[in-house]
Amino acid sequence: MLTVSDLRAGYSRGADVLKGLRFDVAKGESVALMGRNGMGKTTFVKALMGCLPHVRGSITFNGTEIRGLPPYRISNLGIAYVPQGREIFGDFTVAENLAMGVIGKPLKVDSVDFVFDYFPILAERRTQLAGTMSGGQQQQLAIARALVGRPQLLLLDEPSEGIQPSIVQDIAMTLKRIAAEEALTVIVVEQNIDLVFRLATSVRFIENGLIKTGVSIDEVRSDPTLVSRYLTV
Amino acid sequence: MRRPSSPLTVAVWAVLALCPLVVDDWNLGLLAQLMIYGIFAMSLSFIWGQGGLLCFGQALFFGLGAYAMALTTKGLLPGVPASALVGFLLALALPGTVAFLLGLALFRGRGLVGPYFGIVTLAAAVIAERLAVNWNYIGGFNGLLDIPPLTFGSGDGAIEIFEPLPIFLIVFGAALVVYLLLLGLERSPFGTVLRGIRDNEMRAAFMGYDVARYKAASFAVAAAVAGFAGALFAIQFAFVSPAILGFALSTEVLIWVALGGKEVLLAAFLGALVVKSVENVLSDALGQYWLLVLGILFILSVVLLPRGLLAPVFRLRLPRGLRGGG
Amino acid sequence: MSLIFLIGLDATGYVLALLLVCIGLVIIFGMMNVINLAHGELFLIGAYSVVYTQSLGAPFWLVLIVAFCLVAFIGLLIEQFIIRHIYHRFLDTILATWGISLALKQAIIVIFGPASQQVVAPFAEPVAFLGITYSSYRLFVMAMAIAVTAATFLVLYKTKLGLTARGVIANRQMASCLGVNTRRIDRLTFAFGSGLAGLAGAVMAPLMSVDPQMGVGFLIPAFLSILVGGAASPVGAIWGAAVIGTSNSVIAAVWTPVIAQILVFSLAIVVIRILPNGIAGWKKK
Repeated sequence: MLTVSDLRAGYSRGADVLKGLRFDVAKGESVALMGRNGMGKTTFVKALMGCLPHVRGSITFNGTEIRGLPPYRISNLGIAYVPQGREIFGDFTVAENLAMGVIGKPLKVDSVDFVFDYFPILAERRTQLAGTMSGGQQQQLAIARALVGRPQLLLLDEPSEGIQPSIVQDIAMTLKRIAAEEALTVIVVEQNIDLVFRLATSVRFIENGLIKTGVSIDEVRSDPTLVSRYLTV
Repeated sequence: MRRPSSPLTVAVWAVLALCPLVVDDWNLGLLAQLMIYGIFAMSLSFIWGQGGLLCFGQALFFGLGAYAMALTTKGLLPGVPASALVGFLLALALPGTVAFLLGLALFRGRGLVGPYFGIVTLAAAVIAERLAVNWNYIGGFNGLLDIPPLTFGSGDGAIEIFEPLPIFLIVFGAALVVYLLLLGLERSPFGTVLRGIRDNEMRAAFMGYDVARYKAASFAVAAAVAGFAGALFAIQFAFVSPAILGFALSTEVLIWVALGGKEVLLAAFLGALVVKSVENVLSDALGQYWLLVLGILFILSVVLLPRGLLAPVFRLRLPRGLRGGG
Repeated sequence: MSLIFLIGLDATGYVLALLLVCIGLVIIFGMMNVINLAHGELFLIGAYSVVYTQSLGAPFWLVLIVAFCLVAFIGLLIEQFIIRHIYHRFLDTILATWGISLALKQAIIVIFGPASQQVVAPFAEPVAFLGITYSSYRLFVMAMAIAVTAATFLVLYKTKLGLTARGVIANRQMASCLGVNTRRIDRLTFAFGSGLAGLAGAVMAPLMSVDPQMGVGFLIPAFLSILVGGAASPVGAIWGAAVIGTSNSVIAAVWTPVIAQILVFSLAIVVIRILPNGIAGWKKK
């Protein structure tokens, strides 16, 4: 579904964070991307979304080359993005935030109400200003906002960041359910091994801007040295 | 990094200095006028290029200086002797003080958000122009005429200067002195701090610099230089009018400096000379189209060459102590 | 008593006229972070389009629509060919719009000449009410100002387009990642703000002497208004126009217009000093 080859990207010219990265995801997979801070995880998802100025190499999504397209075109091809720090619209209500998720889509979306099935709390808070909600609720809103556009591929950047552990568990379970029921392919950047075990079907480890190893989630479970090798400082 | 071009800079001043040998009196007088505008342009270049403060009402200070000189030498200020020297002092002090106080009022404390400075200075100039039009004591709409020429000595032995050559030499000397003073200031620690504030105000404040005071001081320096140019203008043209206080001249100087290059003093100076000369040549032929062409040129230079057309040629190397590696 | 009422009505008229001019300015400034110094000339083009279309015998309501559309289109061109390239260079947007203002004004002079033109109000019969008589066209201008402001607020806060525009302002990159074509929104916002300037010029034209310098006269009080009111939201335009407009017309009625300008300018600096985000920004805290 997504094929990335020889991806080089960074925040300024001549200072590439990603150094020729290769990456493949098949339809229906839930891939966790793990690695230490500064190894290029967030840079990678931003490059996928078209949010970086200097990206070279090739990114094809369902056979279409998307490298160099502006973010809105990439979004409208069916890739949704839940960024690090959530980036919800704090001055907007929950309903308005969800509306932003469909407003730019080329096809008319009949209803966004299906996300309330996954996140009932949002239904109760439809008219609340998003900025006044708790971190966990904002994260749910950010995921719901990504879902309402009916994407095929969901990118999540550190969805557990700054959220208390019990809520992280809930979110992981819900994401797993969403991936199954909506036939979503998921790429999740995560340091929280607990969430990865609950959600992912496979794991790629990234180091110095390159994917070093790709293994199934069961191999990670059976070989704890993998995690310690790529994650401990 | 572009090659430093100090030989070129010296050459420009040398050529100007040698003009009296080849240029006739009429054009010499014209050149002196242009250099007065050039001094004015350098004042804006300093505050805008070095201080990062985009002043839309720089003519306010030019006009203040011109009126100060005119009122003094015509003896219209009670208790102030009608002397050119006093006129020059007032033409430096009055705009400088006004700018310093306005600067403190605007920059102290949380300070004025950057772009608002332009609007406030523009408004100040427009209002000053209206005030001058309506104030009959300073000549009202017609301004002040018959301003005496520069006079040395007094009584029977007084020497009045109205020949083009001495006027040229005086203005040339003034321009060179202003250039060297502002250049020295740019290359002094004061200039370094000023550029630091321009590039990152917050960082400069964290490093312990009194940002408001620096900005107000540089604003005052620029205003004093503009006032000085205004005083020279009053002497040479022998008249002042509200038009030199306000909107139109503020716009013109902005264009000279932007087209020349705001960060390089000599580029701004030459920007004034070149645009004004071209205007003298072309405005008859093009009529109303001249300003249209100038406006479009200006837009193009802002979008495509934000550093100006002449600045790359006349950029000087930084002083030894401020050069970075490579 | 009726004199005070008359002064009050004049002041209200000035406030609303100022508001009419400000609303387009604040859209472009507050939403796109561009200080549009060409706003006065867009206003001017709106007024001149009345001169032109009236000479063709077009009915006034059509004239207003033409003015809005024409100036919106000019705004679209300005955005596309100039502003788009310099959004990230803030001071340069001021300079560029300054150049645009110069060029547009000069273009008007080239086309229509420097002399002032007279525009006939479509109706001018004085109406009598509450013991005074007042120009019906002035009342119409007041009503237009209120209607335009209300319509702008409706578009911004009650339509999908307005929501999208506010979303782009709040977080441009995120909006884009959600599928919003931010370039399209930029173009539309700039065109809309410009069109409002043109509409204001057209509505005001019969009350003013239409000459190439008329834009400047409104520009300064309009900018002071949005600084005082707060540039971040259209609510600021209402506050600013109210404060600047009222103080200006009251002081001018008591002393002279020049003293009014000087006092209002000083007042504006004091207000900006105390409330850097304007009155609207202060209310929000």
